[in-house]
Amino acid sequence: MTDRYSFSLTTFSPSGKLVQIEYALNAVAQGVTSIGIKATNGIVIATEKKSASPLIDDSSLEKVANVCPNIGMVYSGMGPDFRVLLSKARKAAQKYKRIYNEYPPTGILVKEVASVMQEFTQSGGVRPFGVSLLIAGYDETGPALYQVDPSGSYWAWKASAIGKNMINAKTFLEKRYNDDIELEDAVHTSILTLKEGFEGQMTENSIEIGIIGGTTTGFTEGKERPLFRKLSPLEVRDYLT
Amino acid sequence: MSILEYNGGAIVAMVGKNCVAIGSDKRFGVQLMTVSTEFPKIFPATDKTFIGLPGLATDIRTLSERFRFKINMYKLSEEREIEPRTLAHLVSSTLYERRFGPYFVEPIIAGLDKDNQPFICGMDLIGCINFAKDFVVAGTTTDSLFGVCESLWEPDLEPEDLFETVSQSLLNAVDRDSLAGWGAVIHVVTPERVITRTLKTRMD
Amino acid sequence: MECLIGMVGKDFVLTAADTSAARSITVMKSTEDKSRDLNKHVIMLYSGEPGDTVHFAEYIQRNVRFYEIKNGIELTPKAAATFTRKELATSLRSRHPYAVNLLIAGYDVTALSSQLYWIDYLGSSVNVPFAAHGYGAYYTLSLLDRYHRPDISLDEAKVLVKKCIDELKSRFIINLADFKIKVTDKDGIREIEI
Repeated sequence: MTDRYSFSLTTFSPSGKLVQIEYALNAVAQGVTSIGIKATNGIVIATEKKSASPLIDDSSLEKVANVCPNIGMVYSGMGPDFRVLLSKARKAAQKYKRIYNEYPPTGILVKEVASVMQEFTQSGGVRPFGVSLLIAGYDETGPALYQVDPSGSYWAWKASAIGKNMINAKTFLEKRYNDDIELEDAVHTSILTLKEGFEGQMTENSIEIGIIGGTTTGFTEGKERPLFRKLSPLEVRDYLT
Repeated sequence: MSILEYNGGAIVAMVGKNCVAIGSDKRFGVQLMTVSTEFPKIFPATDKTFIGLPGLATDIRTLSERFRFKINMYKLSEEREIEPRTLAHLVSSTLYERRFGPYFVEPIIAGLDKDNQPFICGMDLIGCINFAKDFVVAGTTTDSLFGVCESLWEPDLEPEDLFETVSQSLLNAVDRDSLAGWGAVIHVVTPERVITRTLKTRMD
Repeated sequence: MECLIGMVGKDFVLTAADTSAARSITVMKSTEDKSRDLNKHVIMLYSGEPGDTVHFAEYIQRNVRFYEIKNGIELTPKAAATFTRKELATSLRSRHPYAVNLLIAGYDVTALSSQLYWIDYLGSSVNVPFAAHGYGAYYTLSLLDRYHRPDISLDEAKVLVKKCIDELKSRFIINLADFKIKVTDKDGIREIEI
């Protein structure tokens, strides 16, 4: 009986807005800042890693994650919601590979994730995801950086910021970004952007960085191609100093 | 009598220098009775790729329609043409989906990839792929085709020579098979264009 | 034991179906019409498992009619054959497949051409200039192959189908008492005598 009468919680307000989605965006706006920058030869995505208590072992937190060898993503907003999307994204990538024996192009994976997020704005008995995503991938057409919002809308960016300081961070990025930036510089720019709204001391353990392109290549399906990988705390420390 | 031999038919594909060729006979029969001599078994997948489907006629139709659907959907969602190698895996996984109640076809795929490198492969009815550098054969005439292809094929044939090699291989092989023949069609795929020719054969 | 014959002429299709309904070694009826009109210009001849045949033919007939009422257009012979083929192909891999062989004949009023489709219970479908189903095919296809021309006239076609039936009468062990012969052209479907 319960499933027969499960109505959508996301309904139009008289003024034509879906307030549930706006609330979801508020949840994102309260979340920790994340940055993504597309360089000529790759992409960097970065975020703060804020833990509520110094007693938490922050090496166990993972906010920048691999979806498949050529795609990675990061979020701002609610951690548990992100993990749901991450596992759906990973599953979609594997499903694609099962059919075509190759990993999905960035755009296809983004469409897949976006359609999941859209479904949760129209289905009965569920709420929208409280996250925005930055998805970085490298395929035959080169590097691509996408942002996906709780509504399921998505855009490709040259550089973007989501979360708490997104307005300031975007203004900062607009000033710093140029079309022929290389991945090394982009990593530095992303750190500088994060520093803008950073509270306290930035260390290798308080930020997370993922890159794809540049020197990070590896063999998948018998071909050498760019791979997404997270920077180790040691590598992050080198960028910070 | 195998179900794969119920309707008869033969397909062969060969690699040349920057080109590939694929050819099939045109017979449709029910065991030894010929019903039609205008039954196509090769279907265009993209501008530079063909799928050949020898086997049970009903499954040839069903699968050619399903693959047309899947290829069109791929083109729409990915905004690009499917590569022959990717297509091979798509065909393979479509067949393996029916592992315990298979479609009775043994597909052959031939085409040029985005760098115009030749690609051919064959498959069994549950989708086990056989990648080949020289030629692949399938259908009721495989025994004769293997022999004749083995002796006629050589590396780096130009499109016109490749056409002649495929044609002679197919024609001479199907003449020794009562379930195949009755006309043939050959496609030669080059980076510039596809050459399609219908061949006259013995009609007895 | 049943026999269906069809041939395409210049601007018509001529079809013939035997009229005997037999069960085991007994002829139960000798005036059975083994065909259904799908619309004004398309006719479907059927043979096969008794019970399956009429049920399937009427299922197709009504679905074709439904489509035409819903969309306000007449199905071409090709469209009717494609739809029917798919129904059979789907049925083949179901728990109880239909055992029905068909000839779909018709006049395409838009393309102004006559069409004949040979379809078997597996869902194999081919567009042919002439066709036959059943044991009769083994006796008649050779005659049709020898004497059929794409521009054959109705009078010549009548002579040819008579030849086929006579051949069955003299060589085929089973006595197919009578044949119902129909012509489909731009004016519709009508029965004729030969």
